Amino acid sequence: MHPFVIIKTDGHLSNAVAGFLKKLLTEQIADAVLAAAPTPYSLLPMPTLFTAPDLIEKADPLAPAAPFNSARQAISVLKHDTGKRIALVLRPCEIRALIELAKLKQCSLDNTLLIGIECLGRMENSVYLESASQNPGLTQAFYEDPDLQKHICSSCAICTRFQPVHADISLCLVGMPANECIGLSAETEAGLSVLKQLGFETSEAPARREDQIHRLLDERKASKAALLSENKDKTDSIEKFQRYFADCLNCHNCRVACPVCYCRECVFLTDVFAHDPEVLLRRASKKGMVKLPADTTMFHMTRMAHIAHACVACGHCSSVCPSHIPVADVFIRVAEEIQKLYDYEPGRDLSEAIPLLVFDENTGNEGI
Amino acid sequence: MSDFEPKIIAMVCNWCTYTAADLAGTSRLTYPSNIRIVRLMCTGMIDAKYILKAFLDGADGVFIGGCHPGDCHYINGNLKAVKRITGVGKLLEQFGFDPARLKLQWIGASEGPEFQRHMTEFVAAIQAMGPNPARDCMIL
Repeated sequence: MHPFVIIKTDGHLSNAVAGFLKKLLTEQIADAVLAAAPTPYSLLPMPTLFTAPDLIEKADPLAPAAPFNSARQAISVLKHDTGKRIALVLRPCEIRALIELAKLKQCSLDNTLLIGIECLGRMENSVYLESASQNPGLTQAFYEDPDLQKHICSSCAICTRFQPVHADISLCLVGMPANECIGLSAETEAGLSVLKQLGFETSEAPARREDQIHRLLDERKASKAALLSENKDKTDSIEKFQRYFADCLNCHNCRVACPVCYCRECVFLTDVFAHDPEVLLRRASKKGMVKLPADTTMFHMTRMAHIAHACVACGHCSSVCPSHIPVADVFIRVAEEIQKLYDYEPGRDLSEAIPLLVFDENTGNEGI
Repeated sequence: MSDFEPKIIAMVCNWCTYTAADLAGTSRLTYPSNIRIVRLMCTGMIDAKYILKAFLDGADGVFIGGCHPGDCHYINGNLKAVKRITGVGKLLEQFGFDPARLKLQWIGASEGPEFQRHMTEFVAAIQAMGPNPARDCMIL
């Protein structure tokens, strides 16, 4: 068991969390904190880089909304070592993506303090905005009311990796009465030393937590199996695949939203796919017609081939689709198979090599 | 043997399998004309896109030929290819393609008769499998 600290919330969950983050700045444990906070203009929480302790009081990283996977925003401040220590409050899928990007050398995690949220899910932006406008205390209500938790997006509803891996400190919510207290679990030595520096007393985690984590995991596993099998029925032939993606506009929002679509310049933006009219005419003449823009299937399948090993199942590709295609469902299904094939799990371990970057010297002479 | 004449794309490396194909030719070994050879410098440069494009455009099979492990002109390009191509096979399988439509085989530069044998066997296997399902529907 990791050392556990109980923080009293006294009916003000968001304030208690913001108060903890404020201490990181006032005690000079971190030079800056990246955490989600609503802007003065909207309730939607955006990843925000705080350096002023009095402003961080507005941070609300537990708000059940995430306009995008913040791993991308995290790497924008972690591109290289700045000599500043940055604390990042991220969801588990965001940490997983960050680990994958660190493996690709797109960021350095050397001088960071990772604070992971035990994530019960996020709502779609529109759902969150409507609920939050009616209920100013939505963040705390969400963790108290199982009915509100039913409004999370479909990818979160099948997420089995809701506990942060690779965080220094986890913000624990499962099995904790959010209106009374939440937990901080020190997952690493660095995390423990921070909690000690802040003068927290460590204790045992409440016994009911384990039970509730298992119960939630079982529920999620069942929902996931059901959704993936349903998705298989919808996409297990090339003809069904066409039907599934028929309304795709080739806007490439899913690629932009994807935290692990790692190329700095996507091949679909290059001349490789900027066809000359002769090419389109030739392609049309093969079957008598060609849909434009072309390469819709190519786009999705290529993206799968490139990132299936790294897909962290955050579901943002579905959230941003203007045609409401459940993009994530099929990506998650394929990613499961590919990750099983390579015996790889994205974000599991920073030292675990990306499967396509290593090879086996003892490969047999048989080919495949 | 059915009447179905498959179209097969063979992506072969310049150093081994292409030379084997050349040797098969100069040795007057015959093999089915269903094979369209694309010469590449190494199997390690084969991106998933090349294979996907071939299948989506209606190729009935894709054969990839490279140097035996240890013989790669670029030391280990062929070993990198194994993993990538295994992954693409798994991906295609998810969407109803028979993974056996994609084959990776090591054929050394001196193995002209081997080249002939593998081509003949692969064409026969694809013939038995029938046409690529992507031929029958509009690919968006």
